[in-house]
Amino acid sequence: MANDNRSNSNGNNSDPDFKWDPLRFISKKPDEVLKKVDDRLDVLEKEYFSDKKDKEENLPNILEIYGVSRRDFLKWTAFLTSALMLPYIFEPRVARAANILTRTPFIWLDMADCMGNTEGFLRTAHPTPAEIILNYVSVNYMESIMAPAGYQAETRRTETVKKYKGKYILVVEGAIPTGMDGKFLTIGAKGDTGLKITKETAKHAGVIIAVGNCAAYGGIPAANPNPTSAVGLSSVTNRSVINIPACPANPVNLVGTLVEYILIGKAPQLDSLGRPLWAYSGRLHDNCYRRGHFEAGEYVRQWGDDGAKKQYCLYMMGCKGPFTWNNCTTAEYNQDISFPMRAGHGCIGCSQPAFWDRMTPFEKPNADAKIIIPGIEATADEFGVGLFAAAGAGIAAHAIYTGVKKKKEHKKSKNEKNDDSGKNDDNKKE
Amino acid sequence: MGLIMQNKNSKYGEIQLVHRMTVIKRIIHWSFFAAIINNIITGFYIAYPFLIFGKTPTQADSLSTGVLNSGETYQAFIMTWMREFHFIGAVIIDVIFFVWLYLAFFSWKEPLYKSFIPFGDKLEEAWRMLKHYFTLKDRPKTGRYQDPLNAIIFTLFHLLILLQMLTGFQMYVASFTGTSAVGAWWPWLLHFSTDWTLVVFGGLTGVTLVHLFIMWLIIIFIAYHVYIEVWRSIMWKEGDILIPFGGYKYMRNKSESESDI
Ligand code: SF4
Ligand code: SF4
Repeated sequence: MANDNRSNSNGNNSDPDFKWDPLRFISKKPDEVLKKVDDRLDVLEKEYFSDKKDKEENLPNILEIYGVSRRDFLKWTAFLTSALMLPYIFEPRVARAANILTRTPFIWLDMADCMGNTEGFLRTAHPTPAEIILNYVSVNYMESIMAPAGYQAETRRTETVKKYKGKYILVVEGAIPTGMDGKFLTIGAKGDTGLKITKETAKHAGVIIAVGNCAAYGGIPAANPNPTSAVGLSSVTNRSVINIPACPANPVNLVGTLVEYILIGKAPQLDSLGRPLWAYSGRLHDNCYRRGHFEAGEYVRQWGDDGAKKQYCLYMMGCKGPFTWNNCTTAEYNQDISFPMRAGHGCIGCSQPAFWDRMTPFEKPNADAKIIIPGIEATADEFGVGLFAAAGAGIAAHAIYTGVKKKKEHKKSKNEKNDDSGKNDDNKKE
Repeated sequence: MGLIMQNKNSKYGEIQLVHRMTVIKRIIHWSFFAAIINNIITGFYIAYPFLIFGKTPTQADSLSTGVLNSGETYQAFIMTWMREFHFIGAVIIDVIFFVWLYLAFFSWKEPLYKSFIPFGDKLEEAWRMLKHYFTLKDRPKTGRYQDPLNAIIFTLFHLLILLQMLTGFQMYVASFTGTSAVGAWWPWLLHFSTDWTLVVFGGLTGVTLVHLFIMWLIIIFIAYHVYIEVWRSIMWKEGDILIPFGGYKYMRNKSESESDI
């Protein structure tokens, strides 16, 4: 469900009345929208590029380093435009936004996590424009790639916050431990807690993005029993946060959201879990290429069995596609070539809150998940069968008890009849 | 309802025929039964598709190889059919639930709320019935109306059905994208009435497990219900088991102390 009050309106020259709803229609006045977008792009280009030459050569230069041709780049803009559910006319504007994105001030914070998202974006063998652009955003602060260290690095961050108040993009990766006042995670020369750093940095950001499941919902650090009381970013700041969950998040979803922010200066429409609708409105199960086999009752029942070879549905192997909203099956991972179901393993639901607790066991159907009530740990069926057996035993016991009791009373009344006949036969004789 | 049959000199006392279930209530009872059995079977299949069938030619362990559904994938939409019947059963259950709710308050014959809202002597009477089940003595008067203990248990059962409906609708609305064919009000209504289950039961997987677990409680209710009606028929000799078939049961006008049980 869309949640309007989450949408971010802190970008430059943004207009709160500006309707932006890419899923259905953008506006009744398309020209007005295009003009607004163009104006915004003009302003940003003037701000971030020194002259026309700088503007025009920036992106080609970057792409050239990676051997990406202009043709590939155009293909990619077409892809991203359609992934964003924007009309064709936005294609050149997406390209301009991508260009601007490489110059937008940018802070990337790493909290409690495995840095899988960083790795996912920066270490691809054959990067797509999405990864290249992410690599080249003017990263003012990102621990894993920046040259400065210690106090220098800290200064860089605080200065960026000061200099680009309300303009810089903040991306947070990893959960934020809140236990012991955040002391489970301290970063940098001053030993500030992650909690403090995120709060300070989030205060003045132009747009805040939580990337990966940990930053969005706490992820694995927050899994039961969550010793550090780790939480997602939106729990520690009262600013609105765009969640780009998954483990790791798909670079397309991050870049797409950033591009959309550049285009219109506010967050895309979000669902009730704070995720951009353009990327997370589809259920994997509904867009899965194995869905036909699901409907046909054709399931893989064992790794490597006949069904697995025929790419049957992985429902019985614990696929959590039916419970998961993401665009993996359409945007695809690994330089857009694959996603779990194509690779032969079920989805593990990594873009849903608390997936480590709720989607396990990963390789068994959900019905085999254990219900954990203090003292009891059993599947719903074991639990149900147990209760049913208990009820059956109760019924049987009651039936036997009734039989025995009735016999006894029968005897008693017979005896009574013998002792004092007539008393019990009153009715009969009446 | 009235006095139809007299049996004056019988050892069972005066026997009256009592009308207990109108045709409508009997239809409700048996469609409810059929729909619930249908949904238990199809629901099991949806949770564990391997239990019954399996699309067939290549998976040799299927029971139905070559008999049912052999052929191309597109010819074997077993899961589709199971889900379809599950949904049809669910619609029947939903409608019946609301009819039941209506009748519980506005039935001219026997508004249930008089029995199921446990206030005053109703609670006391229910307790006496429970005691009677275990001592076989002092049977509270039942006959024309539902006894409070049953009324309370039936109400709990309907609450289970309600929870089953809500968790079911949450899973159903999860597959909606955007609006629906009948208008935006429909998904809105479903979200509005069932989204809380996501929070309470821990996401869609939790909702699914609760749905599965409640099914077991419903199965237990069915076992209890059949047992107790059979038990009453045997112990009270008033033909309670006949109520949902013919609508009538007998009532004996003998006072309890004189009863031979
Ligand atoms: S593989 Fe998973 S997502 Fe695909 S159809 Fe089967 S259950 Fe659904
Ligand atoms: S298919 Fe599922 S587990 Fe895999 S990345 Fe997508 S949401 Fe995560």
